[in-house]
Amino acid sequence: MLKIKNLHASIEDKEILKGINLEVKAGEVHAIMGPNGAGKSTMASVIAGKEEYEVTEGIIELSGEDISELAPEERAHNGVFLSFQYPVEIPGVSVTNFIKTAINETRKAKGLEDMPAKDMLKMIREKSELLEIDRKFLSRSLNEGFSGGEKKRNEIFQMAMLEPKLAILDETDSGLDIDALRIVANGVNKLKSKDNAVIVITHYQRLLDYIVPDFVHVLHDGKIVKTGDASLALELEEKGYDWIKNELV
Amino acid sequence: MTEERIMELKEKIVSSYVAFENEMDINSDIHDIRSEAFHNFEKLGFPTKKLEAWKYTSLNNVLKNDYSIFANKDNTVEFADVKKYFIHDIDTYKIVFIDGKYSSFLSDTTHDGKDICLLSAAFSKSKYKVVVENYFNKIAKQDNMTSLNTAFANEGAYIYIPRNVEVEKPIQIINFTTGSEAATMVQPRNLIVVEQNAHVQIIERHQSLTENAVLTNAVTEIFAAKDATVDYYKIQNDDDNASLVDNTYIEQKSNSVVSVHTFSFGGNITRNNLNFYQRGEHIDSILKGITIIEGKQHVDHHTLVHHIEPNCESHQDYKGIYNERSTGVFNGKVIVEKEAQKTNAYQQNNNVLISDKATINAKPQLEIFADDVKCSHGCTIGQLDDDALFYMQQRGIPKKEGKALLMYAFANTVLESVKIPEVKQRITKLIATKLGVNIGFDL
Amino acid sequence: MSKYTEDDLREELKTKEYEYGFYTDIESETFAKGLNEDVVRAISKKKNEPEWMTEWRLEAFRVWEKMEEPDWANVKYPKPNFQEIAYYSAPKKKPKLNSLDEVDPDLLETFKKLGISLDEQKKLANVAVDIVMDSVSVATTFKETLAEKGIIFMPISEAIQEHPELVKKYLGTVVPTTDNFYAALNSAVFSDGSFCYIPKGVRCPMELSTYFRINEGGTGQFERTLVVADKGSYVSYLEGCTAPQRDENQLHAAVVELIAMDDAEIKYSTVQNWFPGDANGKGGVFNFVTKRGLCETNAKISWTQVETGSAVTWKYPSCVLKGNNSVGEFYSIAVTNNYQQADTGTKMIHLGKNTKSTIISKGISAGKSQNSYRGLVQINSRAENARNFSQCDSLLMGNECGAHTFPYIEVKNKSAQVEHEATTSKIGEDQLFYCNQRGIDTEKAIALIVNGFSKEVLNKLPMEFAVEAQKLLEISLEGSVG
Repeated sequence: MLKIKNLHASIEDKEILKGINLEVKAGEVHAIMGPNGAGKSTMASVIAGKEEYEVTEGIIELSGEDISELAPEERAHNGVFLSFQYPVEIPGVSVTNFIKTAINETRKAKGLEDMPAKDMLKMIREKSELLEIDRKFLSRSLNEGFSGGEKKRNEIFQMAMLEPKLAILDETDSGLDIDALRIVANGVNKLKSKDNAVIVITHYQRLLDYIVPDFVHVLHDGKIVKTGDASLALELEEKGYDWIKNELV
Repeated sequence: MTEERIMELKEKIVSSYVAFENEMDINSDIHDIRSEAFHNFEKLGFPTKKLEAWKYTSLNNVLKNDYSIFANKDNTVEFADVKKYFIHDIDTYKIVFIDGKYSSFLSDTTHDGKDICLLSAAFSKSKYKVVVENYFNKIAKQDNMTSLNTAFANEGAYIYIPRNVEVEKPIQIINFTTGSEAATMVQPRNLIVVEQNAHVQIIERHQSLTENAVLTNAVTEIFAAKDATVDYYKIQNDDDNASLVDNTYIEQKSNSVVSVHTFSFGGNITRNNLNFYQRGEHIDSILKGITIIEGKQHVDHHTLVHHIEPNCESHQDYKGIYNERSTGVFNGKVIVEKEAQKTNAYQQNNNVLISDKATINAKPQLEIFADDVKCSHGCTIGQLDDDALFYMQQRGIPKKEGKALLMYAFANTVLESVKIPEVKQRITKLIATKLGVNIGFDL
Repeated sequence: MSKYTEDDLREELKTKEYEYGFYTDIESETFAKGLNEDVVRAISKKKNEPEWMTEWRLEAFRVWEKMEEPDWANVKYPKPNFQEIAYYSAPKKKPKLNSLDEVDPDLLETFKKLGISLDEQKKLANVAVDIVMDSVSVATTFKETLAEKGIIFMPISEAIQEHPELVKKYLGTVVPTTDNFYAALNSAVFSDGSFCYIPKGVRCPMELSTYFRINEGGTGQFERTLVVADKGSYVSYLEGCTAPQRDENQLHAAVVELIAMDDAEIKYSTVQNWFPGDANGKGGVFNFVTKRGLCETNAKISWTQVETGSAVTWKYPSCVLKGNNSVGEFYSIAVTNNYQQADTGTKMIHLGKNTKSTIISKGISAGKSQNSYRGLVQINSRAENARNFSQCDSLLMGNECGAHTFPYIEVKNKSAQVEHEATTSKIGEDQLFYCNQRGIDTEKAIALIVNGFSKEVLNKLPMEFAVEAQKLLEISLEGSVG
């Protein structure tokens, strides 16, 4: 599904990603772990197409198509979903209105009619129940005054609504208490299928107790330096990132 | 009637200017500047309420007096009589004027590695020529009152701090008026140049020593070079018959920090024109004020922060408490030019009216031409929190003291940034006096 | 003036520069240009007005002659030559009709283009519409339904004939003829407008609406609206404005007076979309409007406006809160693009006790435009316990426009509580990226964010208007961000 080859990216002439290679197949869950500043969030932003980052080398393929020249919204239309570490606030725009616009714009890009209001409402109801979201919450302004947990739950709610091929969860566990973490993880697990894939970016092993990865990659200084199965995450938790750093020396 | 008397005063100024000019060295470089300013004033006359900038402040009652433009003799005062007007519990440099004339007796100046002395000296001595040429009247506006001051500019403080010099103690600039005339007009002119990475703290005060009418029309120009730091404190607690038009102009270069705190507790009419021009990046301009007035006092804060270049900040915080028939005016303008991206400009003006006859007029303005900026202003007019007052009373604090505490707390955000502890103490004491209580505010 | 062909029209609509910029080819009767007492008399005569009305106009004219055009607003424009304007222009086949079937088909076509299909509105929206074209009222719908409730809703020219006692009693009581330069001019030359009277205790069952359009070239539009809500009554009034695209500037100087008697409520909504001039700042309407409402005890007046049009706007819908417990509200969205200039805001004059006012102003500037908020909150010494809350937010798009805030706050009573807040912001890059990531393109994202920014005001509009206003916002800002 996703193929990243020798990806280099920099911001303001500072190279952050220094040759990433990654292949994610449909039905898989990959975890990207690594210390602060390793380039985890940068990798997520680059896949999603944030313009501040310049891709200097390498390709990003989604379902066999090179997406590295596409605008962020075109990547989204192709099924890339990024759950933001810090979701932005958009005052005055309700969650419902926002998601409605996002869905219909995506449908438009695919040459489809707007989703009928009835279907939209039904879907919103289903997905909000899945994530244990209070209906009142949906009429509030997007992310404005949301608690950390609410913001993250809202991200996963949008993911559920948009049904992406590839979901990248950037530090979705940060700022969540244990109950919220469980709800978010349950949501993700229920949305998982053989046709889509998930990349979980996290600093800690905690989230991986709930979303069990098929592969764990350790990112350090802009490169994937180690790959293993779920047990690697446990090993990291136990030994810390210095272990990897020392191993590299 | 009033108009005629104002005309008479203007005529008197015109004839005084002729006399003044005769006394001065006609070849002086300053001559042209004065002469131009004089013609400017002649053309503009005194400000009237028809001018938008003077919409809420009328000088008519002040200008009715028959001011003497120059003190006709050298007056002296005893230090013991005026000690209380100084911040005397710490060592400071002092530049003191009595009725517009320098008092060497009360002053403590220096030329040791920096110049803390007199403008008249700077005008007359060739070694100051370059500084005077480069800075004098370079940022002062051409408006009515500034032009009038410039026309007669001759005496005031001259402060020049060279590169990397941190002035070891604060400088006090004090202007006394003795009231030897029925009505006195004084026009101090200060020039302050703070070079790169230099640091200075200045305390300024205008003080009338009698009940005779006084009109002070002061102009201060401050230049802060790169990385310079200037802390300026204006203490205004004058007699009820003394009025002040204070015009302060500040130009800042990159990375400089200039703060001006204005404490207005007294005087008849006080008008503070405070103007900041930011010519460089990463500049911080801080404008703060506390106004607590009563009787028929009138205080007008008229501020301007001109954001000309990118990545600068300005912070304005003015608090006002108005009792009896007093009037407060806050007119704060922030201009952000289109080059001034990433500007952060904050302005806050909060007021409490504690009498039915008091008035507040506020006009906080933003003029923004750049899109990537954060600018906000807030202005409130309200009362003290009754619940908080009741809470204090319930715990045994009398109502009067409780009110005073609340008002002090209200004004306290401004005091927090005062860097000289003795000034802070003095202001705290003044506030207690103003509020009619005898408590220390150890908040 | 060359006439537009259908092709021109199609082309124009395609470019969407100004959606309502077509010229209706209706035969008009237009006075020669220029203004003097004879012209004022002629207008009055044309309208078959009683003597008192003629005198009232002449008095206004004499005052106006001595006045100077104000220049304190933050706008720059060539001062109109008031002798170069025709002060009267009316469709010649003056339709005084009872049913829409009798309306000139060209005119009906115009309304269709404006998006106000009267038939449909009649059926669906339940809105009674009075249409003023080049200052003359051409159609008032729903008159009979309203008459059953005793509601008077008709062109003011007819009201002068049919209800002279009411017009005489209230006209000029809120905005005196001498109030300001444009108000005086309007008083002298206004040719039509709407009059509305809601009797005691009556709740007007439908929205009342006036649609204004300047059609003829070289004319000014001077309409006059008077709304009187008698004790305990309620009315919601809508006003929409458009004008065709022309190279020269057209002048619009209207006066709106609202009177809300004890316990009455008036909700007045405006969607103003006068031609703003082209992308180079050529042409466009000069919109100099005086709007003011008077609140008696317990009364409430609420102004809501969405301003996207006009080359120059000078407009301050105000409330005089005379009665105790009266309430004034002002909700405004002003969008300026290209070379537009807007100086708009409100005045809240608190005279009575326990009076309350709310001001929410949203300014959006793009292109090379200048957008100013100018407001006055005045708490007089007898206005015990007055409350005001003001919020003025500006959104800047691009780096060649300006956003300005000039609030005046004057408080003479210690029990007053006044709060004013203003912020300036731009659309954040991170907001756009977030929307992009969810599949929303930048243009749409801007529309979404602007709508969110304006929501507090849009919510105050009646439903049908809100939809139109949202569309207008989008159109006005199209292409403003590269």
